[in-house]
Amino acid sequence: MSALDAQRRVRIERLERVWTERPGVFGWLTTTDHKRIGILYFFTALAFFAAGGIESLLMRTQLIGPDQRLLSPEAYNEVFTMHGITMIFLFVIPMTTGAFGNYLLPLMIGARDMAFPRMNALSYWIYVASGLFLYTGLALGHAPDAGWFNYVPLAGRQFSPGAGIDFYCLGIIFNSIASTLSAANFIVTMFKLRAPGMSLNRMPLFCYAFLAVSFALVFALPPLTVATGLLELDRRLGFSFYEITRGGEPLLWQHLFWIFGHPEVYIIILPAFGIATSIIPTFAHRKMVAFPLVALAEILVAFLGFGVWVHHMFATGLPTVTTIYFAAASLIIVIPSGIQLFAWITTIVTGTPDFKTPLLYIIGFIVLFIIGGLSGVMFAAIPFDQQTTDTYFVVAHFHFVIFGAAVFPILGGIFYWFPKVTGRMYHERAGQLSFWLTFIGTMTTFFPMHIVGLLGMPRRQYTYEPGLGWSALNLIETLGAYVLAAGLLVMLGNLVISFRRGAPAGNDPWHGDTLEWSTTSPPPPYNYAVIPTVSSPYAMWDTEDREADQRRLAEGRLTLERGHETPATTTLDAELDAILDMPSDSPWPILLAAAVAVVFVMLLLGHLTTAIVFAGLALAVLAAWQWDEPETRESIS
Amino acid sequence: MSETVAPGRARRTLPNGVWGMLIFVLTEGTLFGSLLGTYFYLRFNSPQWPPDGIEAPSVALPLALTGALVLSAVPVVLAALAAHRGRRGAAMALVSAALVVQGGYLAWQIVSFLHDLDSFSPSATAYGSIYFTLLAADHLHVALGILFSLWVVVRLAVGLNPYRLVTVQAVALYWVVVALLTVLVTLTQVSPS
Repeated sequence: MSALDAQRRVRIERLERVWTERPGVFGWLTTTDHKRIGILYFFTALAFFAAGGIESLLMRTQLIGPDQRLLSPEAYNEVFTMHGITMIFLFVIPMTTGAFGNYLLPLMIGARDMAFPRMNALSYWIYVASGLFLYTGLALGHAPDAGWFNYVPLAGRQFSPGAGIDFYCLGIIFNSIASTLSAANFIVTMFKLRAPGMSLNRMPLFCYAFLAVSFALVFALPPLTVATGLLELDRRLGFSFYEITRGGEPLLWQHLFWIFGHPEVYIIILPAFGIATSIIPTFAHRKMVAFPLVALAEILVAFLGFGVWVHHMFATGLPTVTTIYFAAASLIIVIPSGIQLFAWITTIVTGTPDFKTPLLYIIGFIVLFIIGGLSGVMFAAIPFDQQTTDTYFVVAHFHFVIFGAAVFPILGGIFYWFPKVTGRMYHERAGQLSFWLTFIGTMTTFFPMHIVGLLGMPRRQYTYEPGLGWSALNLIETLGAYVLAAGLLVMLGNLVISFRRGAPAGNDPWHGDTLEWSTTSPPPPYNYAVIPTVSSPYAMWDTEDREADQRRLAEGRLTLERGHETPATTTLDAELDAILDMPSDSPWPILLAAAVAVVFVMLLLGHLTTAIVFAGLALAVLAAWQWDEPETRESIS
Repeated sequence: MSETVAPGRARRTLPNGVWGMLIFVLTEGTLFGSLLGTYFYLRFNSPQWPPDGIEAPSVALPLALTGALVLSAVPVVLAALAAHRGRRGAAMALVSAALVVQGGYLAWQIVSFLHDLDSFSPSATAYGSIYFTLLAADHLHVALGILFSLWVVVRLAVGLNPYRLVTVQAVALYWVVVALLTVLVTLTQVSPS
């Protein structure tokens, strides 16, 4: 046995040598390790979450009572716009796809990296640059102020002559590049790099959710790019797309925006569904109920999400035939969402649930998603929608969906995978305390918004008069927001202290069901010393397979230790097809992102020639990137 | 990245580079879908298309140019097949032949674009806005394709390896899709006539 151990150690040392990146700051700037990129995404998204959170507290403080003047009306407009943009584009999507997806997907499918490691780094740097770009606008006093959906004609040059909307349009296009690159990377990674044996029907449900999101991103972002691009042409060059006096059509903006905007809702919550389907089986100690139905439901939700955008436009005077069609389509989405809800609840109820912090967050998510889902169905009733549109009832609905259904699983997921990423356990009691504070805070902040909305309070109003019956409810909401913030701070404190002093976690503290629990915590740069083989979606519960991995490691079969190697498998059945030699750390992604950032800054400043020069420079960097070819290997072991 | 095939059998999966290009052209297709949707949305909301004072576009020349561009995609696809068989010289010659046609196409289109700009303004009417935006987007994709093809020639001049084979295949896929998109754009552009 000791001889076998020695062989294992030799192979592992060789892998360490091959895969370890440069040390220090330079190593982080040039990294192509999906885990390090995931960590970069995590902290960046967290910083933007803090910014968006401060913006929301500013708004809630303003609305604590009638006639408050903490923010001027103009500043209030900027703050709610930046809050929306930040939370959607700079926090939730980068946190779910960027941080969770990057860190976990290759681990879950048994790969050593993403399909395009350097493009992965590129998408991170472009994301950071786009976030800084948008916040530079705020710092210079040119924040966008027409709301996150930025309707024309308000956002046109006539009514918004300042640079704020230009920051919005260019910043959003810039940001979309990052999300598109991530999505392409995820799709190819999942279609090609799954461990041998992980046929599509054995892929974890988490991955299905991310596959659905990635396809949704690929098809949803181009209409947004077109919408914002055309608006920029209108604003800068005087084009007439949205200008009704010259044959343009303001409603065109709403169509293009919501063709993106509604799928976006599912882009936001589907990864959260994926996190829920990871946490529930582990803590309920049983396999997910109705696995194939849940997988199909995840994909169906993303698909149907493209056919319902007009329900955001019921109050714009479209023909009744059109609105009825979209109302019916919106009702259909209830079916796949319902399938998932019943599957989660049944899995918990028929299992032996262990109510640890991650599962508490998921149960909180289920409760909040049911409330947000029920108010969502109500909007499919056109007359109801027309009465409540642009009131706080809508604000209540989408915060239950976005904060309740998307952010709660993110928080639960942070607790769940904290031991894997840091190698240490968090403090359980403090974790539960933070859950209850966050949950009670969420309910008290957002539930009364339904009522003030029905009482007629419009959204996006910087203040209100006394005597309208809104004051007490607004006070409760603001207090709730502080409780919510306290819950998040308790969580942060717990994780910071646990990172330093937590008990060692070991490889698999939860008896988890997916592959990431089979490697060390934190995982080594090469993820797996031997490529795992898989025979069910619950790979960690197939103990024979995992023992076989250890034997193969000693024998040197599928250890791929000669370079940056990872296996490629066939798309459907995951049969071993080829060995890929992956690129390692590279300076080109960050340089390319910098060149692209200058292009966007120059476009903003109107220096077209300089922008073209830097676009050329970006192409030159791309050429250098391509020139840098990995060595070709002749055969496989 | 290089890809080593298990010995004794043919590859059954597409190389990552071709997968990546496939997804890139899906986003580009969606981008053009949104622009074409914009064209018809504006058109069906207008009483007259093109508006008074703007001539209906000519038909014969754009169709002929588009035909040439579509045909030029054929040698690029053949180049990918030649490179697959290891015939580096043939691949280079085919891509270069296509480049001549594509370069001529783009030059002619730019001249005609500037000529159109003299006859009517992109800002005065929504028709002008979408007409020029749609064409500019298409020409930009042809220009990008030409840069890709030049890159292929430069790389193949140094030698052929599995990594560069994937480049040729991905570029061939790009040209097929750009040809298809150009057909859709041209048909839309000439449709008022």
